[in-house]
Amino acid sequence: MLSSLKDPRFCHKVVLVTGGSRGIGASIVRRFVREEAKVYFTYLSSKSDAAAVVHSTDKPSHAIPMACDVRRKENVETTVGEILEKESSLDVLVNNAGVIRDGLFLTMQDEDWSEVLDTNLGSVYLFSKAVAKQMILQRAGRIINISSVIAELGGYGQANYAASKGAINAFTRSLASELASKGITVNAVAPGMVNTQMSVAARSAFGDKIKERIPIGDFAEPEEIASLVAFLASGEARYITGQVITADGGLGLLSRR
Amino acid sequence: MQNLNQDIVKNVNAIISQALKVDEQKISLHSSLIKDLGAESIDFLDIVFRLEKTFKIKIPKGELFPEKLLTDARFVKDGQITSAGIEELKKRIPNAHWGEFSKNPQVANLGDIFTVGMIVDYLTEKLATANK
Repeated sequence: MLSSLKDPRFCHKVVLVTGGSRGIGASIVRRFVREEAKVYFTYLSSKSDAAAVVHSTDKPSHAIPMACDVRRKENVETTVGEILEKESSLDVLVNNAGVIRDGLFLTMQDEDWSEVLDTNLGSVYLFSKAVAKQMILQRAGRIINISSVIAELGGYGQANYAASKGAINAFTRSLASELASKGITVNAVAPGMVNTQMSVAARSAFGDKIKERIPIGDFAEPEEIASLVAFLASGEARYITGQVITADGGLGLLSRR
Repeated sequence: MQNLNQDIVKNVNAIISQALKVDEQKISLHSSLIKDLGAESIDFLDIVFRLEKTFKIKIPKGELFPEKLLTDARFVKDGQITSAGIEELKKRIPNAHWGEFSKNPQVANLGDIFTVGMIVDYLTEKLATANK
């Protein structure tokens, strides 16, 4: 990580992170700012959370929060349009916005299904579509979708969440094949259990027992996911596209025994 | 082809060269985008985006290159474009030269219609209308 401070990879690059005011998204914002990118990030409602993220970065003037309901096409198009009015390029899109509304499938409320699918998957569709034209014109771009290890493993009470993340993986592969010839890579990162507010319910429900199921024996820190996202966004990852890169401390390996 | 505006030709050649990654020297008005220059479907969008940006115009979906026509059973039968399909294509892409295609209207030959000259003609007309 120290080497990246000496050698920032994203100088003059413009990055857009959805759902950047908390958890993994906030770490991704900080990571790109630290590597000298100009980072726009969306948040849904908490202006104070967004402001806290801005002030936690190395260069607050390079972290720009934008209120946006990522489920709404008009909001998404306006957000991307405003960025493109100010910037001559949009180099990296990180589709990170996501929610969890866990519950047994048979008692799951329709709203909990729709909200998870619209936020987690719908936003990936809307933002990717909104930036693709610009990236094609640039003949360069990186789209990185935040998936989850649950997409492949399944999760008890997570039919909605797993469906949204599984679809993200399939979307990632298809979009990658469409955009590869235009110099745009599309990849996904599938974290396992990460030390964030969003996973606190799952972590506290299982206590330390869940750690026993993770071969590495620990949760990931959000910064470790941000580090992988930054790698995929960098020039070093030019030849990687259509991939879902898992960072789960070996959780998936264990379940396949 | 209409009277050619050399600025349009020059810009179109540059755009096609960028979008298809081909040497400008290899591009002529008669070049078929698919057969001669290797264009794929995503390249047609790329060309439209670049035309819009360069000429500061809006090209509505399907106006320059037709969309979804080939999946319509009324217009395609047994790998051939039906006469209704040819009429529809003529309506949608009046700038193309349909005479040769109509003799052997196989779907596989449709790509031959999309030439550099067709784009130049389309733009010449579009820009003339816009400037009226």
